[in-house]
Amino acid sequence: MTVDADLFARIQDRIAIVGIGHLPFAKDIGRPIADTAVEAIQLALEDAGLQAEDVDGMSMLEMEDTHEVSIARRLGVRGLRWWSKISYGGGASCATVMHAAAAIASGMASTVVCHRARNRGSRTSRPWSQERVLVRDDKALHTPWGLIRPVDVIGMWAHRHMHEFGTKREHFGNVAIAARKHANRNPHAMMRDRPLDMATYLAGRVIGYPLHFFDCCLETDGALACIVTSVERARDLRRKPALVHSVAQASGPNPVHLANYNNTRTMETTSVFCAKLLWERSALKPADMGCAQIYDAFTPLVITGLEDYGFCKRGEGGPFTEGGRIELGGALPVLTSGGGLSEAYVHGFNLILEAVRQIRGTSTNQVPGCRATLVTGASGVATSALVLRGE
Amino acid sequence: MAEPLHPDYPLPDLDDPIMRPFWDGARDGKLVLQRERGSGTVHWPPKPMYWKGGDRLEWFQASGRGRIYSYVVGYEPFLPAFRDLLPLVMVLVELDEGPRLVGYMVNATPEEMRFAMPVRVVFKRLTDRVTLPVWEPAR
Repeated sequence: MTVDADLFARIQDRIAIVGIGHLPFAKDIGRPIADTAVEAIQLALEDAGLQAEDVDGMSMLEMEDTHEVSIARRLGVRGLRWWSKISYGGGASCATVMHAAAAIASGMASTVVCHRARNRGSRTSRPWSQERVLVRDDKALHTPWGLIRPVDVIGMWAHRHMHEFGTKREHFGNVAIAARKHANRNPHAMMRDRPLDMATYLAGRVIGYPLHFFDCCLETDGALACIVTSVERARDLRRKPALVHSVAQASGPNPVHLANYNNTRTMETTSVFCAKLLWERSALKPADMGCAQIYDAFTPLVITGLEDYGFCKRGEGGPFTEGGRIELGGALPVLTSGGGLSEAYVHGFNLILEAVRQIRGTSTNQVPGCRATLVTGASGVATSALVLRGE
Repeated sequence: MAEPLHPDYPLPDLDDPIMRPFWDGARDGKLVLQRERGSGTVHWPPKPMYWKGGDRLEWFQASGRGRIYSYVVGYEPFLPAFRDLLPLVMVLVELDEGPRLVGYMVNATPEEMRFAMPVRVVFKRLTDRVTLPVWEPAR
């Protein structure tokens, strides 16, 4: 049985994100995610002009899980007939929309809530701070040697990139500063009032050499949701639909969770494989993107992401960030809400919401005439990506 | 006897049948890897023996030599179990046999580290059951 190309044709521009919502981001939101998820979904439904009774499907991230049935009950959903939980943290964000689109295109559901609620602003709630004896499965391949924190796992890629291609800290700094400048114009961003310049960036303390303080994303409590339905349904709703143009999920060959260093001879990230599928299914090309929301748990991931998704050649991601190219007004603004680095780190779900705003024309960092935008999940882990466009 | 280990040290599960030969080898002071008889293709991470080509799999003692493919340095006390090892130079070693293994350095300072620098395996006994293959400069 081959992949059902026809299913992707039935998704392309025929499924849409019609509502978005999120609670104010916070260091400590003070409520459990089982509660914040429900309110975020209500906000997204309100934004769309839909009722809980219209919802019959739900997709979400698996890490730090929330439960479909309790959310459905609290929302007042009549009954779910399809749901999906997706693994691998930041790799899963765009896959929530992909699974929803597939469910709608294949008739398993009509209106799907995709959401992410996450409380990790406080130090002790981070999974890597809770390692205990007897690590199993993929973790046994790296944690016994102390390679546990994501900053160190990604630092291996970053350092190799610096060595092989001459990528400099200043290139990472360009990413951090672009994200921060955009956040400074986004009233929802955690870092809205905190400017960042290169001198401050370079003076950041080392976290895991070669990565430093401002290379790392925030840790944020947040709850976000979007509503996915058919384009026919979308046309009756109040918002300009953001059409799902292309979707992909990919693990790459020989994958290992996190310490994924053996899947190719050249240490390409999982994003390479995801990008290949995404663009094969797309009538649009990287050059058609008005901006890009590239997953940014750490600044080097944006540089490799620019390469992986075809905005520049392998090794040219560093120089690509120069001269304001990735800032608003540049050729390819990235992370126009501030991203995980400066808006909120919520496993990249905020990147989906910002992409929808760019298609609607309502971003506080609006790219003029943005007709299409890319959203990506975490590279390194099994991941996902999404192209949205306007009608 | 091994030095007393921090109670939160993330020890590997030795009862994982797929990884057991690796950990058994380390306890005997050998770096062992899995390969296919005939083609010699080395599998890392190892395959289960019930894999479709499992009858062709064998474990063998590797050279214990490789080169630094990448490295990161932890300076701050991030986990109590690793506090005594700081600064901890965590490495990705490209073995002469091909695979890249995660490890950490002994007998080397962060300043001495270089890309492509040759390293050789040494063994650090953590408990009576667990020995960790780690790396030192091959001078």
